[in-house]
Amino acid sequence: MQILAAAAPLWRTIDQPVALKGLVAIVGLLLIAWQLWWFLGRQGAGVAARQSEAGLQEITILVDGGYAPSRIKVKAGQPMRLAFHRVDPSSCLAQVIFPDLHKSLDLPLDATTSLELPPTKAGVYPFHCGMNMVRGVLEVE
Amino acid sequence: MSAPSLGPPCCPAEGPAVSADGMERELARERTLLRRKVSVAAVLTVLVMVSSLPHMLGLHGLPLLPFWFTSPWTQLILTTPVLFWCGRDFFTGAVSAFRQHFADMNTLVAAGTGIAYLTSLFTTLFPQVLIAEGLPADVYYETVAVILTLVLLGRLLEARARGQTSEAIRRLLQLQPPSARVLRDGQPVEVPVSMVVVGDLVQVRPGEKIPVDGEVSEGSSWVEESMLTGEPTPVAKAAGDAVIGASMNRSGSFTFRVSRVGPDTVLAQIVELVRQAQSSRTQVQRLADQVVGWFVPVVIALAIAAFVVWFLISGNPVLAMLFLVSVLVIACPCALGLATPTSIMVASGKGAENGLIFRSAEALETAGKLRTIVLDKTGTLTRGQPEVTDFERLAGGVLPAYTLLALTTALESRSEHPLAEAITTYARSQLKDGALPALEGFEAVAGRGVQGVVAGQQVRVGTPRWFEELGIDTVALQPLVERLEAAACSVAAVVVDGRIEACFGVADPLKSSSAAAVAALRRLGLQVVMLSGDAKRTAEVVAAQVGIERVIAEVRPADKSSVIRKLQERGEGPVAMVGDGINDAPALAQADVGIAMGTGTDVAIAASDITLISGNLAGVPAAIELSRAAMANIRQNLFFAFAYNVAGIPIAAGLLFPLTGWLLNPMIAGAAMAFSSVSVVSNALRLRNFRPARLPLPTT
Repeated sequence: MQILAAAAPLWRTIDQPVALKGLVAIVGLLLIAWQLWWFLGRQGAGVAARQSEAGLQEITILVDGGYAPSRIKVKAGQPMRLAFHRVDPSSCLAQVIFPDLHKSLDLPLDATTSLELPPTKAGVYPFHCGMNMVRGVLEVE
Repeated sequence: MSAPSLGPPCCPAEGPAVSADGMERELARERTLLRRKVSVAAVLTVLVMVSSLPHMLGLHGLPLLPFWFTSPWTQLILTTPVLFWCGRDFFTGAVSAFRQHFADMNTLVAAGTGIAYLTSLFTTLFPQVLIAEGLPADVYYETVAVILTLVLLGRLLEARARGQTSEAIRRLLQLQPPSARVLRDGQPVEVPVSMVVVGDLVQVRPGEKIPVDGEVSEGSSWVEESMLTGEPTPVAKAAGDAVIGASMNRSGSFTFRVSRVGPDTVLAQIVELVRQAQSSRTQVQRLADQVVGWFVPVVIALAIAAFVVWFLISGNPVLAMLFLVSVLVIACPCALGLATPTSIMVASGKGAENGLIFRSAEALETAGKLRTIVLDKTGTLTRGQPEVTDFERLAGGVLPAYTLLALTTALESRSEHPLAEAITTYARSQLKDGALPALEGFEAVAGRGVQGVVAGQQVRVGTPRWFEELGIDTVALQPLVERLEAAACSVAAVVVDGRIEACFGVADPLKSSSAAAVAALRRLGLQVVMLSGDAKRTAEVVAAQVGIERVIAEVRPADKSSVIRKLQERGEGPVAMVGDGINDAPALAQADVGIAMGTGTDVAIAASDITLISGNLAGVPAAIELSRAAMANIRQNLFFAFAYNVAGIPIAAGLLFPLTGWLLNPMIAGAAMAFSSVSVVSNALRLRNFRPARLPLPTT
């Protein structure tokens, strides 16, 4: 196991054809551009909560590696119920936290847990898992 | 009210402990599975490392190892279960996150180990391709196994530490006893706490815990409330006194009438507030969250760039691949995401233990930056239970003392002002039992006094200032006012039909802890200001007794918030306001940090950012110290997390290689990543040792 190593056969240089070098560079750049677009650019339009009879806005969110949908649209000034259905066993996802609403919810595995929120002012309220690795957004408009 | 049946608890949502138990079991099960995975991964990894040993040492075999054991095929067989069973979560997590357009630590770990594994698999299947290029047909299975084992181990340690951070809530939940002895038809019946309803009579024997909130109806005892208020001294309880669920009965037996159950109890409210605070975020956290959002995609971009650049420089795909894997593995933003929340969790739990309830992470953050602290006099510095010390008839008065007391009592018994209560109590003790004269047209003038028509005469009781404003001759009152105010008494004058008749001197004794708490606040470098509705002179006398130099007196309740605003506008902020939480609510809300002094049972905390469950002012310096300790801890954590990434990524990308020959082995990158997460969590756990500087508490 080499921590610092130099001049081992591994580090020898090889003359690669220019065409191959060019190809690697182009593919690399395309890959960089594509993944940046995929992760940062393409946020999706978000899914709107449906209206129930009682004036409650309802939506079910599947918790499986991430939140599906992860971008939820609701209307301002109306109460809402967010039902989280967790199927992912990772303990990271066992909790969902809405920091700006001061709410946290424990999500038992293979069960649906609902969070009822009072009418909320328009704004963007992010939510995330217990370790802040998996995230979603509640858009109140 | 209900039959003495012992059915199952009606609704599991009522007891907060139920969901916590289920959650606890699930987390414990996960920890067990994780531990098993770490053990299996560790054993296989050691075998893979032994198998790759001769090759690493540049030998063609070691004496005790059979040749087949050092073959790449053996390593492939040993590594595959580590990748696909132990490390399965990383891959499933990465795939589903990818589908959601998210990139997280799973993405980095899965991509890093996956690429190293596939490269090694290719070398194992087609070694001649590399040999033809003049490259050694090396495999990196041991790297894959070591990284996965270390990251799993990091996760396990983290899961354990996280379990400890939420310990405070668990301890609070465990305070509630499971059952209560309820009187049904006069007979004591043991009933689960969830079956107790408001209005039930509950018996408590010595050494038992009080199950829910209520009011003592019979008997007396000493009760220890330290688990909720942080106050070590037991409190005397007799008929009419409020008791808090989860506190411990010491010596006597008593019966109490239940006033609050389930989510309405003080304990349930404290748990809820601590949970809320633990799930809120600080300004610092908001920033860190934004960074984490674009961090992983940027790291992936850097890793690909490192591969391309090294391929262009060296033409060596294996070398370029190693740089790619190192960058992916070292940059996991786990530590960054953990830095603030873990500290907040530990600190707010620690606060709850000491009777300091933080409403949000922001409150915790701001409390440490405070420069000015405004203390309300009544109920905060003083006991809030004023007593009449003087009753004087004035020279120009015509009515006898007895009549004056009767008129005053008739009027003041309608008022809810603390001074009125003191006067009524005093007057009633002086009056013989008798019907009070009739009162008509009662009116309370805020900050001034009260007026009404009693037995046909217009009676006013209020501040001398009010009567000056009304143009009533107060000359006879002046010498008395001066004398009483010099003795820290508030003065309430009695005016009948526009004629000054008498005056009361009312004093509110200081709390024993006030002077020490003010001194502690000054030691923390804060400017301490006393706010009072009393006359300037009275207020100044009280201020001098507790060691406060700056006094803002003669402030009406409605003006308290504008006083705070003025202090903020003058740049003396951030300003904290300490009050009793009810009539000070607007000022508490206006202040950068509103601190409410609870009285143990009265969680009237809607407007406050911090609630001191006990009425002890010593909690204020303790809260500020805790906040400073927590913020220092968060800064250390963020520094660890950022410094580690800032230093780690360039080294992993091989930036230093041309200069120093430094190169980070991907295995070391994995260890560094695990270490950074663990170090952040362990640093946060240090906050558990926080002890507020204990103030010398004079005996009451």
